[in-house]
Amino acid sequence: MPRVLACQSHVVHGYVGNKAATFPLQCVGWDVDCVNSVQFSNHTGYGMDKVFGSKADAHQLTQVFEGVMRLKDDYNALLSGYMPNRNTLACMARFYKEIKRHNPNLLWLLDPVMGDEGQLYVDEDVIPEYQDIIHSGLVDIITPNQFEMELLYGKPIVNISDLYSAIQEIHQFVPVIVITSCSASLFDDPTHIYSVSSLRGSPQPYVYRVSVIESYFTGVGDMFSAMLLHQLYYMFESKNISLFHEKTNVVLNVIHRVLEITKRLSANVKGSIGDPVTMREMELRVIESIDCYECNSIDKDFSFKYDWTLCS
Amino acid sequence: MVSGKKVLSIQSHVVHGYVGNKAATFPLQCKGWDVDALNTVQFSNHPAYGFLSGFKSRSEDLERIIQDGLLSGLKIHYDAVLTGYLPDTQGLKKIGALLVKLCNDDPSLKWILDPVLGDNGKLYVPEDTVDIYKQILKDGSVYLATPNQFELEVLTGTVIADLNSLKNALNKFHVLYPKVRYLVVTSVNWPSSADDDSFVSACTDFTEYWYFNIPKINAHFSGSGDLFSAIIMDLLLSSETVELPLALNSALSLVDGVLRRTYDLTSKPAQSDDTPFKINDLKIIQCKDLFRSYPVPNFVAHKL
Repeated sequence: MPRVLACQSHVVHGYVGNKAATFPLQCVGWDVDCVNSVQFSNHTGYGMDKVFGSKADAHQLTQVFEGVMRLKDDYNALLSGYMPNRNTLACMARFYKEIKRHNPNLLWLLDPVMGDEGQLYVDEDVIPEYQDIIHSGLVDIITPNQFEMELLYGKPIVNISDLYSAIQEIHQFVPVIVITSCSASLFDDPTHIYSVSSLRGSPQPYVYRVSVIESYFTGVGDMFSAMLLHQLYYMFESKNISLFHEKTNVVLNVIHRVLEITKRLSANVKGSIGDPVTMREMELRVIESIDCYECNSIDKDFSFKYDWTLCS
Repeated sequence: MVSGKKVLSIQSHVVHGYVGNKAATFPLQCKGWDVDALNTVQFSNHPAYGFLSGFKSRSEDLERIIQDGLLSGLKIHYDAVLTGYLPDTQGLKKIGALLVKLCNDDPSLKWILDPVLGDNGKLYVPEDTVDIYKQILKDGSVYLATPNQFELEVLTGTVIADLNSLKNALNKFHVLYPKVRYLVVTSVNWPSSADDDSFVSACTDFTEYWYFNIPKINAHFSGSGDLFSAIIMDLLLSSETVELPLALNSALSLVDGVLRRTYDLTSKPAQSDDTPFKINDLKIIQCKDLFRSYPVPNFVAHKL
């Protein structure tokens, strides 16, 4: 039975951060040890005036991690997501690096949660800290969106050539890069969300295309990272890295099924930010989707043929 | 699968292992519950390891999350509230008062209360916690209380030494705390008992009394009580027509199944004398199939 240490946010109600990652991972057989970077009543999409609770400070997190280190657990994987500020991010990174150095075989998936579509939702000094973590060469998988990829790369990505260069640059440090969503202008198609995945050493990145669902879902990225970690852990275990493209597609299928169930059960309410009643309806139906996580099939092929020869 | 039932579970959080909210959440989620887990502490692990480190949540935070966030802000209607370990007496007092009011105002909200005080003759909370729990049980419309033997003794001021004194304690509980609807005492042992291979579990709706003899497993488990209160909550609330002894029987059987599988999957110490050994971590994840199927009641109910 594989074991993962996961450090991200905790919300009492709803499914983002550790709440979106834990149950799906447990359902596919992972022991999930959760360090909670915050405890909030709910996610911030309900409106900032409706969020109660507090962030753990670096001292508190250090105490928790020191206890975890004493247990000398043999983790198979590390998962990290939203950390609210530079101090807590640096604290997590210090312990994760130590664990990874002690056991280089374990897989570290880092979701560099910083913002989306040009808007930063963490402190600015978090950016160089994430760059440092990436440059350590200890992270195996990152799952930024395009904006976060730009922040890690340090330069804007305005066309596919830039994207290609950014991927090649970051590949010097990180073997697996999955850009979970690119801006609509990049592929000149506002009706779809494009994701790009790349495994260092593969001939070219893969592109995936998913229809835009016009609503406000949160936690999708957190669940995606968790399920990607699960699929890639077993891919690396089997030493069959030629399955990379297929496995990414499998994860997109899992997420697609969960969103279908969520949409069906929410009676087509469209979530709007700041309105608690509709926001509650749009919470991912993580529990009702219990049978989705083990699914390894590709019912819908999301892969999109793209000719990269113009870039390289 | 029961769909859409919501519980607010107020217990401890450990990063590693399965006690408190970590023991309750996954089993309840497998049974279809939306579990809103409010963590009273965040520790690396539970105390039976001999060390732990972490921090307690501030009671003002817990109070505001419940009152301003979940209830006033999000207007969530819960089917149940499950409460366990609360480390801070002031916090227990405040959150206790808040839940007392909530449950008295809304009879459809079921409060499952585990009065965590101690075990095996020893208190592991500050002494004034006892009086706070007594007050909560006096004032609040608690649906089910799940003390262990020691906690029942402390709350009733009695000593349980045989079936007669057990019944007496259950009766006394009702006299002191008449608003509590059901009472389950999870494990009772008496030293003079002829049959030392089993323990007793009892329940009452205060008109009838039942008990079960459950074969012991030769180990000490952490988190089994937290798992039990979650499971019996599900069994009591998943149908309109509750039969308390049947729910207890099924809950005991399911927990027994989890403990036996945990025992089988845990490597045993090399020397095999008969002293029970300590098992730190329930194998909660490996028991997913048990949580997803309806438990078969394995034991025999006796009238007390």
